[in-house]
This record gives sequence, structure tokens and C-alpha cells, in this order.
Amino acid sequence: MTDSMISWLSRKKWILAGIGLPVLVAAWWAFRPEKLWVNVKVNEPAPFGSSADLQPLYTGRLAGRAHPTSGRASIYQTPDGSRDLRLTDFMTSNGPDVHVVLAQSGDESLGQAFVKGELNSVELGQLKANQGDQNYHLPDSADLNRYDAVVIYCERFHAVFGVAKLDKF
Amino acid sequence: MLSQIKLALAFCVLTLPWGSQFSVSAQESTAKTLATGTFHGKVHQTSGRATIYQEADGKLVLRLTNFKTSNGPDVHVILIAAKDAEDDANFLKSDIARVELGKLKGNEGDQNYEIPKGTDLAKFQTVSIYCERFNANFGAAPLEKF
Repeated sequence: MTDSMISWLSRKKWILAGIGLPVLVAAWWAFRPEKLWVNVKVNEPAPFGSSADLQPLYTGRLAGRAHPTSGRASIYQTPDGSRDLRLTDFMTSNGPDVHVVLAQSGDESLGQAFVKGELNSVELGQLKANQGDQNYHLPDSADLNRYDAVVIYCERFHAVFGVAKLDKF
Repeated sequence: MLSQIKLALAFCVLTLPWGSQFSVSAQESTAKTLATGTFHGKVHQTSGRATIYQEADGKLVLRLTNFKTSNGPDVHVILIAAKDAEDDANFLKSDIARVELGKLKGNEGDQNYEIPKGTDLAKFQTVSIYCERFNANFGAAPLEKF
């Protein structure tokens, strides 16, 4: 290898570095790959004083099955620790022996209009009205990790009027 | 006498408790919950809840809870004029109307963003976690009436 070739190569190396380094810096600036491993955690309080208020725990939208049903189902925790279900914007069809129950969202029978056999559920009470905002008290034993769906359910005909899958608020 | 009885009867009927009154209305004195929705995002795993509150003075606040997304460069929180940003649409359409709420404060945790006065929530129905540099939608939360 001649001397001139070696010097050409080392010159070229500097040229390559001169081009490559800015490209690398630009790519780093654009993609900031280190952010894949760096997390930024925040924990801002709610924008309002809420310690004494009811805390929403879960919420979900009602979807109709056997009858058109709509509205929102939310579960609140009261300051004394008890839990209430509240239906808002609520509308379903009127019917005989209609109840509000908690059931398991994974239960296959909830996908259909009618349940064969017994629905595995927690009773919250008779439906107070087929329209309007209303509240139901939850028994202390109700496990919302298991029973994570609100069902408007006609006990007499095992008809599922509507279902709301509850998501963490 | 008869008319008096009729009147009394009519009064009784009228004052029957037609609609039951309940008082769980939680944040009436402090803030009202207007709309809420959950995040979904496949390309950059995004999860959690977005909720819009109206404070007593009328100010609108977006609050993210149980929130998690991937960290990235130049990430912002915006409202977009769409029913939902599709999962697979990693990039927002350039002609979509948007309202800037600010830089993402953290990729994890509860956080609040003020919504500019006069923002039409009937039009801007979806929250998007949005990388401005690449026009990329990390995750979107379609909002529904609370």
C-alpha cells in the first residue's frame, strides 16, 4: 500500500465522519430512541377538591339486547365506603319484573337476548323506572372484579334488555 | 264544596312523585363530569381514561387517569374533530381539525390539561396523544357523554 493511498483513506474517513456524525445527531434528535426506556411519571391531583365527594370507580355505556337500551352506568364510592350504581341518560323499554343486576361481562349468555337457565348475577333491585337518572345500592359483598357488567334483566322471561360493560374510571 | 274537593284531588294527583328525585349528583358544587372515554393505541401501546370536567367557573379541563403511553419526542395532547382515530391510522390526516392542549406532561400517571375557552366539544370528540414531529397518533380516546 502506497503512502498516498493511506493518506487518501484517512482523509476519506474524516469526510465520512463529517457527514455521518450530523446524520446520527439528527436521527437521534428526531427519534429520541432513549425515550423508549425513560419514563416520565406525573401524579396531578384532580382539578377540584374531591376527597369528600363521591368517587367514580367504574363506568360504561349501556347497549341494547332484547330491547333498545341506552345510557350510562357508573359506580360511585361514597365517603363512608359504600358503593352505589347510578344510571344516567338512561332509557330502556318498560316491561314486567325488570331488575338491575350485576353479571360477569365474560358470560356468554349476555351476548344474546335471552339467557338459557339461570344468569349468574348479583341482584341490585327492581328497576325503578324505564327512563331517567336513578341509583341502586350495591351490597358490600359484591365483587366488582368478578361482576363487571350491569345488566337490565327481566327475571320472568330471562330477557337481557341491555348490558353495560364496566371499565375502571 | 265539590269544586274544592276536585281542586284538592287535582292537587294530590299533580304532586304525586312522578319522577323520583335522587341526589347522587356528586360534583355539583365543584366540577361537573361532561364526557369520558378510554384510550386505545396499537402501534404505541396507550391505555387509560380521558375525562372532561367543567369547573364551577365554567372552565373546561381534560384529565387523564390510569394513563400510560410510550415516551417519545415532541408528544402533545390534542382534541381532534373526529369520532375516533382508528387504531391502524398511525398517522393523522393532515386536514383534520385539531385543538392543541399542550405538551404531554408525562407518559405515565394522572394529569390535567386546560381546554381553551370556546372549544366546541360537540365537534372535537376525540382526544389524541400526538407526536407533532411525525404527525403520529400514539393513541386516541373517543369521548362519550358522561
